[in-house]
Amino acid sequence: MPGKHVGAVAEQPCRRCRDNPSVLVVRTEPLCRDCFLKYVHTKVIKRMESFRVRFSDTDQQRRILLPISFGVSSVTLLSILDQHLRTQAAKTRRTGFSLQVLFVDSSSVEDPPLDDHLLAKVQEQYPDHQYASLPLHDVFRLVDKDTALLTLVPDFRTKKDISAPEQLSSLINSLTSATARADVISSLKTRLVVEHAKSSGCEGVLWGDSTTNLAQKTLSETAKGRGFSLPWQVAEGESPYGITFNYPLRDVLKKELVSFVELSEPSLSPLVHEPSLGATQASMSSKNTTIDDLMKQYFESVEENFPSIVSNVVRTSSKLAPAPGSRSDPHCSLCHMPVVGGRFGIHGWGGDQEDGLETPIIEGAEGLCYGCTRSIPRTATTSNETS
Amino acid sequence: MAPSPCAICKTNRALILRPKDHSKLCKPCFISVFETEIHHTITTNKLFHRGEQIAIGASGGKDSTVLASVLKTLNERYDYGVDLILLSIDEGIKGYRDDSLETVKRNAQQYDMPLTILGYDELYGWTMDQVVEQVGKKGNCTYCGVFRRQALDRGAARLGVKHVVTGHNADDVAETVLMNLLRGDLPRLSRTTSIITSTPSAVSTDPNSHTNIKRSKPLKYAYEKEIVLYAHHKSLDYFSTECIYSPEAFRGSARALIKNLERVRPSAILDVVRSGEDMAKLVPGSDEGCGGVCASAVPAAEEEEGGCGSSNGRTAGGEMATMEQQLAQNEVAAENGLEVEIKSSTLSAPSRKGKKPKGVAPSPRKAPKQVMGQCKRCGYLSSQDVCKACVLLEGLNKNRPKHSIQVDDYAQENTTSGVHSVTNGLKKTHIEVD
Repeated sequence: MPGKHVGAVAEQPCRRCRDNPSVLVVRTEPLCRDCFLKYVHTKVIKRMESFRVRFSDTDQQRRILLPISFGVSSVTLLSILDQHLRTQAAKTRRTGFSLQVLFVDSSSVEDPPLDDHLLAKVQEQYPDHQYASLPLHDVFRLVDKDTALLTLVPDFRTKKDISAPEQLSSLINSLTSATARADVISSLKTRLVVEHAKSSGCEGVLWGDSTTNLAQKTLSETAKGRGFSLPWQVAEGESPYGITFNYPLRDVLKKELVSFVELSEPSLSPLVHEPSLGATQASMSSKNTTIDDLMKQYFESVEENFPSIVSNVVRTSSKLAPAPGSRSDPHCSLCHMPVVGGRFGIHGWGGDQEDGLETPIIEGAEGLCYGCTRSIPRTATTSNETS
Repeated sequence: MAPSPCAICKTNRALILRPKDHSKLCKPCFISVFETEIHHTITTNKLFHRGEQIAIGASGGKDSTVLASVLKTLNERYDYGVDLILLSIDEGIKGYRDDSLETVKRNAQQYDMPLTILGYDELYGWTMDQVVEQVGKKGNCTYCGVFRRQALDRGAARLGVKHVVTGHNADDVAETVLMNLLRGDLPRLSRTTSIITSTPSAVSTDPNSHTNIKRSKPLKYAYEKEIVLYAHHKSLDYFSTECIYSPEAFRGSARALIKNLERVRPSAILDVVRSGEDMAKLVPGSDEGCGGVCASAVPAAEEEEGGCGSSNGRTAGGEMATMEQQLAQNEVAAENGLEVEIKSSTLSAPSRKGKKPKGVAPSPRKAPKQVMGQCKRCGYLSSQDVCKACVLLEGLNKNRPKHSIQVDDYAQENTTSGVHSVTNGLKKTHIEVD
């Protein structure tokens, strides 16, 4: 169970209000329901300082995109921001920003299909925002100037007329491992979210990653060979996509969000799509396990007893600084991360121990970064893939 | 397995599924590709130069045995013109080293290389068994690792050898990358990913100084599984044993992760190494020192590649709990620190000017910028005034009366980092701003 629930703490009063009995222990502090909800709320709003009412123009509303996956994190974020906006409106008769909520439908290529009523339910509960739902293959439509992404689709040159959904499934089906599929799908999702944010006039994206999530991302990007991109993966601010990224839940642990969902009044559980709340089930076989799954399981176990170690990982990776001048580096065709000096692919470094394989540095060219090349080796031409 | 031909020679039957990329190879092709890759690593990184004398840190284990064997083969095949010798350290753990040192002695004969064995007792006045008797089984890996790190350099200096190669493999490096992320230690992450760790910043004028030793790891990109396969197919004489003392939790945790990653995606080990190399370039203040970013003053052992190469624990032991506690206290301190600040600014800020009040309650320490210098006592490369080994030795010697050791007792400031770190987190970030 997430958080340490009642039982042992039942007799203790809440450490903050000292009135009510505590219902769970948060980082050594026994808290009552109200104080806990307030605790999470405050942590999130603290992160939203730059979007305060006083920073917004009266005539031009600031718009931010909130991608929702109906997981514990994004639903909580929406719920907290909704309340926050209503408070702002009540106090000042205007708000610091407005929310655009986007759901990316990847059901054609990802397993657990969503309950299609979830979006409607959320919309009904939080009616003050704009909502959109886009299928993942729309990414090919939205980035049409960026043909580099399209060249990743197998037989792209010969089959120019296939539809976007076909392009997507053809790309995903060409990948040989669960890790590669999950990796490519997540890169495409990010691209789609960004493109939609730009086209709908949003100045930034509010991602729902919790501390635990960001720690997991740090290690899984490292494991996927994308250590070079970490300065842009966890830090807030201007992203390589030319739009700002914020992580308002970055100071809240996953288990705390799970408790938040349960303890909210009314409970947020009906709005959450999560096969089993919290604990990621141990996966069936190593064939279907992805690197992301592995890290997720790992950090969910670490956060149980060592929450500060989890946040320390995030603090640590946030200290990595982008290389000077990296903004002008060529971008990876898939994940769009800047690749230093355009050194695409997996060759031409110490760990590539084959003689005579020169780095294919293509002038002003497009290519895949090290990590994306691991997922889509086909485009690395000479790689001798077996099995 | 259906009989398929070797992917390289296409004639022999493939008998080996190569761990690194799952290609199917015959035995001779595997041996040759393994050796060629090490050769490639050595030449592209210019690890050796002609006429150089090189000490192989030999433990009798698989890594160093394979390293000795491969280096001998390559030195003859490609005529590097280097002079190879074996250097072993005897930690003084009964039953652990006795047999492996016998192995090293046989290796010395098999490869026709001179061998020197140096004991911790000769170098430090303490065997590991004595250390454990003193400090208990908990935390003794720190001693072992810190002592070992210096031991090879000290040993090499005694022999007048300027270059030590160690058997660290890709798994070790990958493990260290993940471990340092988990411990939040970017400076060390950055230092340990490089294939050569020479110490030009601390070059001593004394030619026999042990700070002036070059270290390299020619097996940095070799998979542990392939090293085992190589040793097996070449019928190398090595000794496999695990350290009998407890493994460190962070390393154990990182090791378990690496093993799982390898199962999910064989290239992952190499990919972590690559990520580590790339991240090293992104650590502010580059590879030497941390340029003021190492705000997490959690004390960690001053070892480079990790204490014990053989620790394979999966249990999260006391080490993680200790760090968790320290971090949690840091967080509390940070919050309290904020409260204090608000108070003093509302209460007409009395002691504002001066900016550096002398000796106010929570001792404003200057940020310990990690600049590599030399230990005041032994002259070894250290980021502190006194190196970790001397600090540890001092602690040990204090509790062993009437045992003269040639380390002087300065009794001066000794880094009690644990106590300070609690309140430090916030302070430091302030100071670094100016």
